[in-house]
Amino acid sequence: MSAATAVRAAVAPARPRTPVQPVTFGRLVASEWIKLRSLRSTWWSLGIAELLLVAFGVLQTWGTATDPANFGSGVAQQGAAFVTGGWVLTQLVVCTLGVLAISGEYGTGQIRSTLTAEPRRVPVLLAKAVVLAGTVFAASLLAVAVAWAGSSVWFADLGVSIDLSDPSDLRVVLGTPLYLATVTLLGFAFGALLRSSAGGIATVLGLLLVLENAVLLIPGRLVQVIAPFLPSRAGSLVLQDDGSLDATEMWADIQGAHVPVLGPWEGYAVLVAWVVVLLGLAALLLRRRDA
Amino acid sequence: MIEAVGLTKRYGDKTAVDALSFTVRPGQVTGFLGPNGAGKSTTMRMIVGLDHPTAGRVTVNGKSYAQHRAPLGEVGTLLEAKAVHTGRSARNHLLALGATHGIGRRRVDEVVEMTGLASVATKRAGKFSLGMGQRLGIAAAMLGDPHTLILDEPVNGLDPEGVLWVRTLLRHLASEGRTVFLSSHLMSEMALTADHLVVVGRGRLIADAPVAEIVARAQTNLVRVRTPQAHALEQALTAQGHAVTSVERDLLEVAGATTAHIAETALRAGVAVHELSAVQASLEDAYMRLTADDVEYHSAPVADATTRVPAGSAR
Repeated sequence: MSAATAVRAAVAPARPRTPVQPVTFGRLVASEWIKLRSLRSTWWSLGIAELLLVAFGVLQTWGTATDPANFGSGVAQQGAAFVTGGWVLTQLVVCTLGVLAISGEYGTGQIRSTLTAEPRRVPVLLAKAVVLAGTVFAASLLAVAVAWAGSSVWFADLGVSIDLSDPSDLRVVLGTPLYLATVTLLGFAFGALLRSSAGGIATVLGLLLVLENAVLLIPGRLVQVIAPFLPSRAGSLVLQDDGSLDATEMWADIQGAHVPVLGPWEGYAVLVAWVVVLLGLAALLLRRRDA
Repeated sequence: MIEAVGLTKRYGDKTAVDALSFTVRPGQVTGFLGPNGAGKSTTMRMIVGLDHPTAGRVTVNGKSYAQHRAPLGEVGTLLEAKAVHTGRSARNHLLALGATHGIGRRRVDEVVEMTGLASVATKRAGKFSLGMGQRLGIAAAMLGDPHTLILDEPVNGLDPEGVLWVRTLLRHLASEGRTVFLSSHLMSEMALTADHLVVVGRGRLIADAPVAEIVARAQTNLVRVRTPQAHALEQALTAQGHAVTSVERDLLEVAGATTAHIAETALRAGVAVHELSAVQASLEDAYMRLTADDVEYHSAPVADATTRVPAGSAR
């Protein structure tokens, strides 16, 4: 078969032209879902996130239950806090996933294919955000459920329980996946702004690991007022139980300083505001910059 | 149909594309030709909205690219730089791209088959050779069965079989009435594939004409004659008012005379002619002549190599 007939044979079935549908937000979400699940790095990140959440929950419950020091004495924490303790490390993993979801496209050139398929650009950013947040929320909710099931055998020893009809418990159990999904978008926004994997990861981890902790060492009044509004400090209030929140408030009173004390949902709203502002900025730049 | 009007792109004080206006028509293969750095890739990126023009505008089928609601059905694009995530398989790349336009597995399998990628479709694109990468790029461009194809150096890295395949495919697509716009710096490829040429140099339009016309423009009307009696023939032709240059001891170049006329003159003068040929301008010559002043990166003349060859022994 000559090259000419080969081509004709291959193109011929397309003669009744391939039906092509207009780009919609739903189709962009479908496309981004294929993209996310067809990369190994996604499965590595999610796998590590699951492992950290489950292992931390189970080990913390088991360790506390079997430590004679805690035997008989009342444990301050509620059950929900035991099974969600892994969030501190897990947030670093999902943040990285968020950065890579967009910086990987710039690094490899994929972004050019993505933007020729949707030249209006900004809907792509939103579709990616929806898919990322949804995936991380579902994965963390699953991990919390597994951690709960795995550690519940020691609940009786510790005298704790998780009761989803209790607003505090419910908030912690759902707040953990919610916080992790939102902080993923924080990483995503930095990745979109900086268009570089190294730059994005360094910035978001620097913010969460270094800046938010370093701030506590600076005594200045201004710093004390700003610190509660940093993304992780504010946002993580949503996954703390009422007991911890009360303790935080008490500690602020003891210090005597009139520092702002945010409620759990106020704190979460602050994190959302960070994400919205950064994503808005990223959308603006995405429209303006050459790809 | 692609229409560019006064298309301009400046980076700082460097002008990559300078007030470029041209039209690419359906039903033929239009070559976009120019030396490296002439602004070909930048122009193509502006057509599909990846780069924003500093001035001017460009439309595809009457609308700017971003105004099309199903752009992949209008324009298929293969850019010179890779545009595929290295960690994703070829098939998943095409599935994700197609999903934005409701294009499903059937069409993806079709273009995979058509571009000869079936055996490697589940391999990660990062492991692809340059040639396989090009085939994947062409598969992506064909996904939406578009009216218009924009291909930046499509034969780059392809083996001879692949080059022939691309050439046949593009000619076939143009014969179906589609608009095919491809860039290349390879003249020989253009001579075989293109009907029409848009030639640029340093971001400016140099020529926009059918291939035949561009070759004709470079015609020199020179005829070469090889004869052992060069001196006698030179005298006879000069007497008739033709400009004759002696290239070698037995080789003359005659301007402004047909081969028939020279043969008859030689016969009358009793001069034996060993060789008589009109000098054909190739597309290569035409191109070199057109872009001579507009090459951004000049190579130093290879002086030593040419002077060392003794005159006349080169053939």
